[in-house]
Amino acid sequence: MVTRVSAETLSAFLLRTKLYWSLLILLAVGIFTSPVSSKGVNIFLSTGNLSDVLRQVSNNGIVAVGMTLVILTGGIDLSVGSIMALGSVLCAMLLTYDERTSATLLSFPILALVCASFAAWGATQLMGLRNRIVGTNTDPPHRIFAGLIGLGAAIVAWWLAASQVPTKFGVLGILVVVPAVGLAFGWLNGLIITKGRLQPFIVTLAMMVGVLGIARIVAGQDAAVHPVYTGTNATEDFDILRALLYRVVPVPGLFFLAVVLLSALLLRATTFGRYVYAIGGNEQAARLSGVAVDQVKIAVYAISGFLASLAGVLYTAQYRQGKPDAGVGMELDAIAAVVIGGTSLMGGKGSIAGTFVGVLIFGFLGNILQLNNIDSNTQLVLKGGIILAAVLVQERSLSELFSLRKLFVGTVPRSDAVQPGSSSIPHAEVTATAAEARLADHQ
Amino acid sequence: MERRTFLKATGAGLIVAASPLRSVFAQGKKYRFGFSQSTTLEPWRVQFNKDMKREADLHPEVELLISDGQDKTEKQVADVENFIRQGVDVLLISPKESAGLTGVTLKAIEAGIPVIVLDRNVDTDKYTQFIGGDNVVIGRAAGEYAVKVLGGAGKAKGNIVEIWGGFGTQASHDRSNGFHEIADKENGIKLVNEKIDCDWKQNKAYDLMANLLKANEQIDLVYGHNDPMAYGAFLAAKDVGREKDIKFLGIDAIPNEGVQWVNKGQLTATFLYATPGAEGVRQALKIVKGETVPKTITLPTMTVDKSNALQILKENGLA
Repeated sequence: MVTRVSAETLSAFLLRTKLYWSLLILLAVGIFTSPVSSKGVNIFLSTGNLSDVLRQVSNNGIVAVGMTLVILTGGIDLSVGSIMALGSVLCAMLLTYDERTSATLLSFPILALVCASFAAWGATQLMGLRNRIVGTNTDPPHRIFAGLIGLGAAIVAWWLAASQVPTKFGVLGILVVVPAVGLAFGWLNGLIITKGRLQPFIVTLAMMVGVLGIARIVAGQDAAVHPVYTGTNATEDFDILRALLYRVVPVPGLFFLAVVLLSALLLRATTFGRYVYAIGGNEQAARLSGVAVDQVKIAVYAISGFLASLAGVLYTAQYRQGKPDAGVGMELDAIAAVVIGGTSLMGGKGSIAGTFVGVLIFGFLGNILQLNNIDSNTQLVLKGGIILAAVLVQERSLSELFSLRKLFVGTVPRSDAVQPGSSSIPHAEVTATAAEARLADHQ
Repeated sequence: MERRTFLKATGAGLIVAASPLRSVFAQGKKYRFGFSQSTTLEPWRVQFNKDMKREADLHPEVELLISDGQDKTEKQVADVENFIRQGVDVLLISPKESAGLTGVTLKAIEAGIPVIVLDRNVDTDKYTQFIGGDNVVIGRAAGEYAVKVLGGAGKAKGNIVEIWGGFGTQASHDRSNGFHEIADKENGIKLVNEKIDCDWKQNKAYDLMANLLKANEQIDLVYGHNDPMAYGAFLAAKDVGREKDIKFLGIDAIPNEGVQWVNKGQLTATFLYATPGAEGVRQALKIVKGETVPKTITLPTMTVDKSNALQILKENGLA
């Protein structure tokens, strides 16, 4: 049966999927320019190369997913690079556990304090949960009491952990402990931003600087080489985290895909996800309609921290070393991937699928330039240009792209011109295309 | 439904259309060497690449591909993976970090590519060859020179400043240890500053020195782990008019940098840390021609001061 494709649906379809077209075009360029091996195999398309790319993008990808959640609420998280680095050195340290590690852990009040406060917060949350189930309303003193109990428990747990733990952490242990620390720092970010009513930019910037220092302290400033996982003095089963399953599937890539799927579900299929979009769209309106704005915001920063430190664990697995400056500049790569993926820095508009494609575009771009042995400085110039081009394609409708005057002068108000805080009633003169684009983004 | 067909058709079209447009071999080149450089932010690395290209240009049968890791382990690992995919004849690698690049080096060896490790080693001995200088030896040379200019063995006296390159790199530790082996025997020599990591950068060394000059009345000698840091310290001293009573020692002796500064009398001396670039290309050629090569080649050092700086500049066409 032949269905006639009307011009309108086709253009709407093209509009909605233009991001994927960017990726397809990039892949086409990759295939066309790729060198061919002596056996006649297109190197760019070889399974080995594709598996390399998936592994290469996994860290940035995992961080970018957390960043997407944060940016959707209209915030930004600059601390992800440092939290990833902290995760990386903590992981290396737990793998190469010895007296020095134990001493470091014990003499590390800041981390202990963070974990303790985190536990305290957990206790208060449990209290709140009990209230919701029982239907009573506990007054603040009880909450503080619960918090203190949590604090005490956490400190005891910390001391036990630092003095009595087995000499080696298993993979599962590391996958629990290290991301928990990242989660704690992310939570701290969220707490300061919401309760302190400060700009996310400056709070996470401060955290980025501070946590980098913590990561360096943990690594040991005098160590000639930072705590390194060499495979000789660490748990053998940790190797699974960098393994290539069936010789082509990189485990870090599987983590990335899992993170993408879970967060897409979180955003698409839960109330929490709707709240995230609502806050980014119009925080005031969300607050007035009864969304627990602060809690949701704290949660997205906590998730971002969690994912960043998970990326740190995978970093240590892949590069066999814990490194305090592992994540320097990471936050910008993640933000770039998020924005290429069509998420607006103003918040409220974007998707995990977009970020996934953005991360792939970013990764394939580097891969293609390198396969063609393009000089690295030229690579940077091209990368900058292509990021801009990708964002332009994202932010402008097709008709605008084909008309220079419209592109830069613009007769059409921007689709994300709704300022946070202003009413979210759409402008009367928003054109069909912009409205369509907005609809498309929320489908 | 029509969407899906549309996508499928396009995808298929793309793959069919991708015909082998390029062949692997450039015209008339017989061998392809892939060189993965860790960074080009430091002048020594730039010189390293220059030496490499210059040597490769002498051999018309060699095609040299150079990648730049941009100071990031993950970028460098990706670069090496790329060379493996391209199937270069020899992989030359100057690792940013030993541990971080070990895995991918093993990967290259497993793929049957000979690997020459340059300047900094990896945590395995399965590579084909290692070429590099010995930083401990260079540090000792600097230490001996310092003792000499501060009054000679047993009589040396003075306050010295040591400017670290990076706590994270073995080179910095070696250069420090070699220096202290000699200098610490002298009771008259005192180190005035805490260990501060200046990341091999001139501007950071300037800032550090500016602070130290305020805090210390008397500084007699500055030992920088590379020339730019020694030069940064010199500039800080010059800005407060104290450069005349301080000796500045650096390391690396790059012609258009350290040697120039020594020739101008700004640095007292510098010690050659030869780049393994040219030697790397020569050894790679030997490997592809089936010759056996030694497992390790250590490049010698040399002291550059007022007496021979001009000569070196002339040899490099800079004077």
